[in-house]
Amino acid sequence: MFELAAKIVINGLTSSLVYILMALGFTLIFGIMRVVNFAHGELYMVAAFLVYVMSASLGWNYYLAVLLAAIAVGLFGAVLERVLFRPFIGRELNGMIMALAISITLQATAFILFGTDEHSVERPISGVIQLGMVMVPRDRLAVGLIALLILGMFYLFMRYTKAGLAMRAVVQDEEIASIHGVRPKIIHPLAFGLGAMLAGFAGALMAPIYTIYPYMGSQPMLKAFIVVILGGLGSVPGAVLGGVVLGLTESVFATLINTTVATMVSFGIVVLILLIKPTGLLGR
Amino acid sequence: MKLTAKRTLAALLSAIGFAWAAAAVAQTDTLKIGVVSALSGPGSEWGLAQDGGIKMAAMEANAKGGLKIGSKTYKIEVISYDDTYKAALAVSGATRLIEQDKVKFIVGPVGSASLLAVKPLYEKNKILAIIGAYTEKALDADTKYMYRGFPTQVEFVGPIVEWLKKNKPALKAVAQIDPNDETGWFSQKLLKEHYEGGGYKVVASELFERSLKDFQPVLTRILATKPDIIELGTTPPGTAGLVIRQARELGFKGQFVKIGGPGVPQIVAAAGKEFAEGLICYAAADVTTKAYKDLEAQYAKVLKPPMNEFAVYFYDGARMLLDAMQKAGTVEDTEKVRMELEKVSPYKGVQGTIRWGGMKSYGSNHQILTPIFIGMIKNGEQEIIGRME
Repeated sequence: MFELAAKIVINGLTSSLVYILMALGFTLIFGIMRVVNFAHGELYMVAAFLVYVMSASLGWNYYLAVLLAAIAVGLFGAVLERVLFRPFIGRELNGMIMALAISITLQATAFILFGTDEHSVERPISGVIQLGMVMVPRDRLAVGLIALLILGMFYLFMRYTKAGLAMRAVVQDEEIASIHGVRPKIIHPLAFGLGAMLAGFAGALMAPIYTIYPYMGSQPMLKAFIVVILGGLGSVPGAVLGGVVLGLTESVFATLINTTVATMVSFGIVVLILLIKPTGLLGR
Repeated sequence: MKLTAKRTLAALLSAIGFAWAAAAVAQTDTLKIGVVSALSGPGSEWGLAQDGGIKMAAMEANAKGGLKIGSKTYKIEVISYDDTYKAALAVSGATRLIEQDKVKFIVGPVGSASLLAVKPLYEKNKILAIIGAYTEKALDADTKYMYRGFPTQVEFVGPIVEWLKKNKPALKAVAQIDPNDETGWFSQKLLKEHYEGGGYKVVASELFERSLKDFQPVLTRILATKPDIIELGTTPPGTAGLVIRQARELGFKGQFVKIGGPGVPQIVAAAGKEFAEGLICYAAADVTTKAYKDLEAQYAKVLKPPMNEFAVYFYDGARMLLDAMQKAGTVEDTEKVRMELEKVSPYKGVQGTIRWGGMKSYGSNHQILTPIFIGMIKNGEQEIIGRME
């Protein structure tokens, strides 16, 4: 019984960390630019394909490939903001449609370049580690630890740097922040790039764990959406809480009943939260 | 001057006349054949095999100058639509093929739900179809225009379970895992019947959504039932590889069996050589034969990705269809072509002699019957360890 409970918690927490990485970027972009970035899942997919090209095809070191892929996706995000999203600042519906268009375009591009086949990247770490009575795959544990490190760095960046402070100010009130010298023209691409980079890290880290294909971003995108609705759209601590709630809920119900029930319960919780507290657990 | 103009005009008209006559003599019409199948997403390995099989047969015929039927020669054009394994998209694809593209012959779909959704369309519009899909509901005594181009689990589950019982007698408890749709439901029901009929105990029957990639929770539950065999059934090959890898990482030391759709290269790629080792599976073809290798080499020259074994069946099925058209002397009257299609059996296919049958199981002889192969993954490659005629 204890063994099963421990497995459920460990599975739930490892999933949570990746959900949080995805959701943080998603909520950051919404919080600062009021853009519901439906292309967030495709940024995850692009990073996974970049790792595939660098690691599996060119034979580069996997960890270097992860770093480069995340940075490349971050830069790509900043360019997307500058070229495609900036004209729609303040117009949420237009921004949403632009995000959908980018999502479909990126999927189609991956389809043309890589076909429909599912690709794999060789895992840098394999085997399992025995934690008490529970066996945990080493690769998942490594992904969890790296995700934790990235989340820690993200927290420090947001809490202790001027840019982080400026971003938090823009989330609270862009006009007042502007009066105090914060320049939205710099903060917007920075936030979009940072959000995209977090999605890039998630995709790059998960590349060896799952298979890589053009439509792989839709599920993580859906999870990110559930997480931010749970935690509160635009709320960074809410994304962390939402990620943990979703990861553990899924793990409990998928292990004890089945994955279909787990999905139903996840959405059931979202409905409940929306009815009781429409702004999400920690949203304003 | 006036005379010269008249002569020039006459010469011009004559030239146009000759050109028109020459064109009429060498007239090549186009024969459109439709494909509606899963060309993207999980399961697309099988859909692309359907598409690739007919395309290979079409290219072969076109390379010989086209398909000669009576005094006409037809260049074959294959029009393909992706249903992504979804019934709604299969219906829209098939409707488009029938109403917009005016095709009379269709290959696919491969998904059971997709097939059941388009079945009334095919029958009502007299569309002669070489179908895939494992569901037993695809064919019945009233099915007139649909012919299944590959053997289904109905044909091969029984013999393979018997083989397992004889060759791996120590294995007793089976856990099943299949996709949560018509294909998976049918597969699970049929496999359960055969395993239990063979004296095995089915300790778990799990269904999953096709988009699922994290199987740790499902496998945690499965492994708690202590199975000797994890039966992967109709799980798509890439996904099956992930299941294998994650189960091994969770400590499963038993036997993996896959008596469902083939796809060893994708399984090995997703699971890794080390974890895929020893998997016993239904093999749609003996990939070591010269005939298979020749077709595979041709395929690689013109199509991507690597050829799935299923392509062999649809290549053979398409060639049978083209032969039937030639014998019927028409590409319009599907009733006549249908009658001839039944007569081209037995047929010399890539895997050996194939023929139409299935009256006992389905109430009509619209099911292709072929040799059955059992494969095992050894060092990342599929090795044929059993063949049943």
